[in-house]
Amino acid sequence: MAWNVKPSATTQIQKRDAPYLTEKMARRFTRKILPRYETKMGALMPILNEVQHEYGYIPYQSMIEIATFLEIHPGDVLDMVSFYEEYHTEPVGKYVIGVCQSIACEVCGHQAILDHLRGKLGIEPHETTDDGRFTLLTMECLGACEGAPCALINDDRHDNLSIDQIDRLIDDLE
Amino acid sequence: MPVTDPVLTKRIPTWPWGDPKDRHIVTYDEFTKTGGYQALEKALDMTPAEVVDVVKDSQLRGRGGAGFPCGLKWTFLPEVDGGRRYLAVNCDEAEPGTFKDRLLIDFDPHIILEGIAITCYACHLDTAYFFIRGEYRHQARVVENAITEAYDKGIFGKQGLMCGKSKYAVECYLHRSAGAYICGEETGLLEAIEGKRAWPRIKPPFPAVKGLFGRPTIVNNVETLAAVGPILTNGVQWWTKMGCESSIGAPPSYGPKLMGVSGHVTTPGVFECDLGIPLSKLVNDFAGGMRGGKKFKGAIAGGVSMGILGPDQFDAEMDFDIGRKYDVLGLGTACPTIFDEDTDMVAVARNIARFFKNESCGQCTPCREGTQWIYMLLCRIEKGYATSKDLDLLLEISGSMGIMPGTTICGLADGNNWAVRTIVNKYRDEFEARIRPSSVPVGMTVGAS
Ligand SMILES: Cc1cc2nc3c(=O)[nH]c(=O)nc-3n(C[C@H](O)[C@H](O)[C@H](O)COP(=O)(O)O)c2cc1C
Ligand code: SF4
Ligand code: FES
Repeated sequence: MAWNVKPSATTQIQKRDAPYLTEKMARRFTRKILPRYETKMGALMPILNEVQHEYGYIPYQSMIEIATFLEIHPGDVLDMVSFYEEYHTEPVGKYVIGVCQSIACEVCGHQAILDHLRGKLGIEPHETTDDGRFTLLTMECLGACEGAPCALINDDRHDNLSIDQIDRLIDDLE
Repeated sequence: MPVTDPVLTKRIPTWPWGDPKDRHIVTYDEFTKTGGYQALEKALDMTPAEVVDVVKDSQLRGRGGAGFPCGLKWTFLPEVDGGRRYLAVNCDEAEPGTFKDRLLIDFDPHIILEGIAITCYACHLDTAYFFIRGEYRHQARVVENAITEAYDKGIFGKQGLMCGKSKYAVECYLHRSAGAYICGEETGLLEAIEGKRAWPRIKPPFPAVKGLFGRPTIVNNVETLAAVGPILTNGVQWWTKMGCESSIGAPPSYGPKLMGVSGHVTTPGVFECDLGIPLSKLVNDFAGGMRGGKKFKGAIAGGVSMGILGPDQFDAEMDFDIGRKYDVLGLGTACPTIFDEDTDMVAVARNIARFFKNESCGQCTPCREGTQWIYMLLCRIEKGYATSKDLDLLLEISGSMGIMPGTTICGLADGNNWAVRTIVNKYRDEFEARIRPSSVPVGMTVGAS
């Protein structure tokens, strides 16, 4: 939902003393990422990817730090974060399960997989379990329609899912 | 002449030439041992203009969806002025039903890198961004490793192409996206690389004139780039023997094409076929036939934006003329999703509308609002709450939004329209069976007119 507004930063931002964008990270970005782009802003997407990889989400405080680092407005950073689906502004579960809901997966039975996961984890799509272990997402086509229905669990894709198989996958994670 | 030997899948075992179980990541060494980077070597012995001419003569058409002649696009570039010029490699592949590019980056990334190097040489482009969608996480690592290998072996880097065989130096960077279908639109992709939300730009100016960071930029799909190497190696005559001529006097559809078949077939997957192959042949000879021996009911032509082929269009030829002959938008990505007789076409339309509603970038009002309305109307029809006026309103929106020139910026709205309109037109009885007669008096108009 690219244009649907995510929780905005106008409310109180939680801050901590230690910066999210550490000096070590900044040095690495300066050496590795900045030279690849004509403008500093061009480095924004790779930097956001790195920050999200590091913390699992992009804290509001880090957006301000990134803006200072790239000499752009914090609003520009929020603009990016709110537009792209994969950026989270709140912590997500240790395991993020993204079930594909697009056309090939739907006609090959994604609904049963999704319903089963909802029951098993006790959450609706885009929610996280109370123990912080699982986040359930619905995603659009994962580019693996030959293996429909499929889902991403963190970085790994699992194809031709059945209920037994998804049970096994989840139990193995636990 | 049909495709007798695999071209793009030469190193990726694919039915009928090989067993998909034997697939593995092709490293630089294996790639060069099997003829890899020879096309680049050959290109460097030619002048850039000669390379462009070969690609132009081959009439290679873009594999990303629009089928625009690749060589012609390259000639839109302005004269070299000493400033930077870019190549943006479109590997956003987010169109539902499409997974052909993934096959190449999963197993044979160097075939694309070779195409990138040749293209950069031919068009005087100094920097290439390999734009890959966020969901391709494993694939991003494969490409990253391949790029590192290519640098180590001197293909890219300051010393000049191929360890300095040419003085012309090319840098190639991986750029990972973060999940937005609209990044696949060429100017949206450029905005994303610049570090902004992927709002497509108004054209003209076209990217070839004013693209990335305001400089001339070529945007090509990965499959298009992968085809450049084999064309240079084997020549134009070899290329134009594959594929087909147009039966309606339009430009030809030459060459092999990766076609990904999904949905209700026995062995879904990507196959390399001649352009022009009938859909029924693709399904029966390559994809193992309809699953469970069920009857064919319809097929998305090639990515959901293209619309649907009806029950009587199973024999449609998969070439770039398909749009004009079978009332769909076009060939798109040539990745059909097949539906059997038990499929609920109203649900199919609703699913597709949900996709577009979610992925509209929200920049143009007709698209942002229209996609939402179409989705809501289809949900109502599916649930059985709709009246016949709702169906009229649905057709009205999908017949106007983005169709009137200049009302939307990019082709997403049009894609939504084609999908919804062709499904309703070709399966109208299913929609009518779900709706109640209208309680709105006859003659009263609902919606804008
Ligand atoms: C909404 C929209 C989405 C698109 N998505 C993709 C995509 O995911 N991959 C792609 O290669 N082209 C995509 N395209 C087509 C590109 O705009 C562009 O035509 C293509 O990358 C050009 O490359 P080619 O000439 O090699 O085909 C999309 C177009 C539109 C309007
Ligand atoms: S047509 Fe839709 S997706 Fe395209 S630019 Fe306009 S709002 Fe965005
Ligand atoms: S539709 Fe689910 S992976 Fe393509």
